[in-house]
Amino acid sequence: MNRRDVRRDGDRQADNKLNLDPARGEDWMHLDACIKCGACTAQCPVAAVYPLFPGPKSVGPDAERLRLEGIALAPGCLAYCTNCKTCEVTCPSSVRITDMILQVRRQEQEAGTGKAICRLGMRDNLLGRAEYLGRLGTLWPPLANTVLGWKITRRLLEKTLGISARAPLPRYGRKFRTSDIVPLVGETQSYGRGETESYGCVKTDQNRRSAKKVVYFPGCFISYNDEATGQAVVKVLEHNGFEVIVPHFHCCGVPLTANGRFREATANAQHNLGLMQPYLEQGIPVIASCTSCGLALKEDYPRVSAPGAQRIGAQTYDLFEFLWVLHERGELRKDFREVQVSLAYHAPCHLKAQGIGTPSVRILRLIPGVKIQELDAGCCGLSGSFGFKAEKYELALQIGSTLFQRVQEGVKEEAFQAVATECGGCQVQIEHGSGAPSLNPVWVLYQAYGLGISSAIG
Amino acid sequence: MWDGLVIGGGIAGLMAGIRAQERGKRVLIVSVGTGSLAFASGVLDFGRVELLRQEEKHPYVLLGETAEKAFSYFLQCCPSHHGVWGRTGMALTPLGTLRAADLLPEGLDASPLTHANRIVLVVPEGLKDFFPEVVKANLQKQFISSTIQLKRLRIEEFVDWQAVGKPIPDTVYAKFWCSEQGRETLKNLIGEMTRKMVSDSETLVFPGLHVAACPEVEKILAQAPLPVVEMTSFPPSAAGQVLYDRLRGRFKALGGELLIGSGVERVEVESGQARRAIVKSKGKEISFTAKAFVLATGGFFGRGIVASSTEVRETVFGLPLYVPPEWSESSFLGAQPYAYTGVEVDHSLRPCDPVTGKVLLENVFVVGRMLAHWDPWVGHCGGGVSLTSGFLAGGLL
Repeated sequence: MNRRDVRRDGDRQADNKLNLDPARGEDWMHLDACIKCGACTAQCPVAAVYPLFPGPKSVGPDAERLRLEGIALAPGCLAYCTNCKTCEVTCPSSVRITDMILQVRRQEQEAGTGKAICRLGMRDNLLGRAEYLGRLGTLWPPLANTVLGWKITRRLLEKTLGISARAPLPRYGRKFRTSDIVPLVGETQSYGRGETESYGCVKTDQNRRSAKKVVYFPGCFISYNDEATGQAVVKVLEHNGFEVIVPHFHCCGVPLTANGRFREATANAQHNLGLMQPYLEQGIPVIASCTSCGLALKEDYPRVSAPGAQRIGAQTYDLFEFLWVLHERGELRKDFREVQVSLAYHAPCHLKAQGIGTPSVRILRLIPGVKIQELDAGCCGLSGSFGFKAEKYELALQIGSTLFQRVQEGVKEEAFQAVATECGGCQVQIEHGSGAPSLNPVWVLYQAYGLGISSAIG
Repeated sequence: MWDGLVIGGGIAGLMAGIRAQERGKRVLIVSVGTGSLAFASGVLDFGRVELLRQEEKHPYVLLGETAEKAFSYFLQCCPSHHGVWGRTGMALTPLGTLRAADLLPEGLDASPLTHANRIVLVVPEGLKDFFPEVVKANLQKQFISSTIQLKRLRIEEFVDWQAVGKPIPDTVYAKFWCSEQGRETLKNLIGEMTRKMVSDSETLVFPGLHVAACPEVEKILAQAPLPVVEMTSFPPSAAGQVLYDRLRGRFKALGGELLIGSGVERVEVESGQARRAIVKSKGKEISFTAKAFVLATGGFFGRGIVASSTEVRETVFGLPLYVPPEWSESSFLGAQPYAYTGVEVDHSLRPCDPVTGKVLLENVFVVGRMLAHWDPWVGHCGGGVSLTSGFLAGGLL
């Protein structure tokens, strides 16, 4: 074997590890495709404000070469990657930087290295489980919010678990349910082997017999913190003639992945795929309104070994991506009332990573009276639970500072009244960092369809 | 249905998008990554347009007449750049030598150096890819009668960076000067320099500072009694980033949409007309239908052209290319024939068969580095050809 063969062999091993698709011809060269331009590190929201994080180029493709030789970086290096994927979107050479980083983190978990000190390990375990926290919190939301509102609780949480006392933990609300109507036995069974019945699934009461069906993946934020927006999503879809099916999903797995709990994330994906499988087989689209859930369904789920994994990527749509497809087919209802509102739009990192553009801006611009302008001011800094962690809270605010400043200026100059963004985490952080109200863009559509008045728009 | 879909988000693509949006068209730009503007120097060359028009098939043969219009149009779009048509300015390279330049980001104009008795070179501690001794030596060579002094600058905010031995990128320094502490530090520094001024023809050379990034910094420098000359930097550069942000911001403010990430995989063509662009988004292929398309994929560097040992390929439409018979030339920095590889076009920038001259696609306009028969490094016309062809395509969409 000559030197060249050895090198190529190394690259192939790397690509196998990364699950790259050999059908794309040059993909085995992904590592070689990095021309070391440094664009990723220049755009990395963390590297720009935190010197101890070497940046995506160093911990991604640079270190990958060393890793192929069996040399690993100090585990702590990776803890500051927020998994926002800005590096991958930025890269002019399509190098899969975040994939490389996640792969190493996964190996660290498997090998049992890279474990944080016990307290933080517990914290990460907890924050990774937004779902269980949500279930607890929504048992009796006023109690949960009151207790979490006490300074003493927050100080205790910071001291014991390292959850920042100042971080904008989202409030718990009523748990999201589409309807309290028990699904008809005959109908659930029509979706194969009665599995859905045993897991339970709720359909919306309108359009029960509609031929047009979608599965809605609400995600933890809608389920436990913002059920009203979930209802708005459902009503908008129903207004367009869809029957909305909401199986009892678990968390999509993104918070688990971000906190280094890869096995658990895979288990969640398998559970959720099991629930979706019968619908996927019938070609029913899956709609996600949370951009991180949507990205996981499109990017991570196809890599999981489970029935339905083959189909999930192609059948998942971001809510507005789906509405835009309807619009292009001439199937979107356009019985819009005028909505006089000026909005700024913040594109969440995980929407950018989906590679679908900004469909919500396109849709909202169809509505008479709506003025919407993209802020284009980078990441908000929260990155799921990153900004809740005591040692990262300040950093998260620093990352978002450009965005907050632009929002504050815009509100002061009366250029807009609120910030529209799909991601619940971004909404919370924008309100926390800038003081300006933030809402899911679906509310504008909800109001335009005459389904109700959104308090956030007024 | 979009009026125009621009494939590639570099300078030519953005220019086409901006002009078409301004003409009331709805434009989508699809780009693989952020494009090369963010790591280019921000300085743009037009070259000697009339002379280059003499070269057989050079893009300026088609574009030359419009170059001046594109030049002024760019200045309208990007008021933080300066330039006068027909007059070449100069800027400092990262090594401190002078280079000619036609369009300069504000602050980079190096002309005050020519009549400076004393040049003070600011040395911001830890600045990445900055070699003060080399810069000093080069400045001395070029300005023989000036005294060159180094002024070391230690910034408290970067102590952590220093402690871990991490160099501070030019982009991070530029952001610092825009911050409140940065502006305060800058004011103090200018004050100190003013007090120590020995003659009234002193000039400050200041790497890592970019007035174009921040209006407040501009105000501080406008009040300074001595001229401040900035430097270009190695990639990624703050000046290139600012230019990219401005053009992108302008395009979006006009209502254009930018999809950055995976780029256009291919375009479906029906009877000589391009119809639908296929984009590989996460999980699935999505498509965008448009009336017309701009091919701005950036040649070899942007992977709009890919060469293997058996073929040279245009990656989106599979257009036939002009490929020079010999690829390289022994003089490394000389004219390299491979640079002439590209798509041949008619007077409306539509792709043509290099053998028959027949127009291949009616509604596709080819711009920038994808055009055949030019060498941006030898002709010093990279910015000019890209801006002019982008400007023209924006008028055709």
